[in-house]
Amino acid sequence: MDFLKTLMISSAGLKVQTGRMRIIAENVANADSVASTSGGDPYRRQIPTVTSKFDKELGAEMVRLGKVVPDRTDFETKYEPNSPAADASGNVKYPNVSPLIEMVDMQSAQRTYEANLNVVSSTRSMLQKTIDILRG
Amino acid sequence: MTMTDLPVLQALKGKLRFHETRQKVLAENVANAETPGYTARDIKAPDFFRVAVDGEADAGVSTVLTNPMHIAGPAISNGTPFRPEKVGGYDVTPDGNAVSLEDQMMKVTSNQMDFQTVTSLYQRSLGLLKTAVGKK
Repeated sequence: MDFLKTLMISSAGLKVQTGRMRIIAENVANADSVASTSGGDPYRRQIPTVTSKFDKELGAEMVRLGKVVPDRTDFETKYEPNSPAADASGNVKYPNVSPLIEMVDMQSAQRTYEANLNVVSSTRSMLQKTIDILRG
Repeated sequence: MTMTDLPVLQALKGKLRFHETRQKVLAENVANAETPGYTARDIKAPDFFRVAVDGEADAGVSTVLTNPMHIAGPAISNGTPFRPEKVGGYDVTPDGNAVSLEDQMMKVTSNQMDFQTVTSLYQRSLGLLKTAVGKK
């Protein structure tokens, strides 16, 4: 049954976008997570990657979430001498999370999720039409 | 000769199979809409008139008949005769992904509509047969 395979491919796509969303949520939630020790490193932004592998059984490129890699860009520093995370000169390192970038990534994940959902509903309707042939 | 050997039904069946396979390829494209280096694929529609006249193009391996009175066994094929081909995208992202979601959505919708048309036609053809055998 090709339709069931189609649904499995789409569900893999949905799963990847959910995973992406989870990591974006983690980034946004930790946008202000500073170190607990003086002069330590704060939360580092995580980047989800997407890879695909050919599935012999389904005969299709199955998408899946690849390694989650840390963002190597520099931390933002703010002068906050009263903070417990401040170093000797009173600077506090803040995470390299930009809310704007996370929002754009979120939109993109949502859009792709909806596209996959659209394929699922379209396939379901095709499957229903095939069954309807039997009803005559 | 079974009922499904009728040229009309044979042609419709071929077209249904084509749309089923195409749906799978399109689902694969949408699921891989974020995979780096992935290029969208599509399958070309075969000549359905030829399918109706000569039977399916790549019907697979069937039994050899030593006597015309023998009944031919059903042909065994390895799945589908359709081959997905890469379709050059016009918007390639920096990571090498060339899937346009809008394009794919249009294709999914048109594929679904065509499929619906064929299932209705199939139903009508069966209705004709039912009329011929004296539908009550």
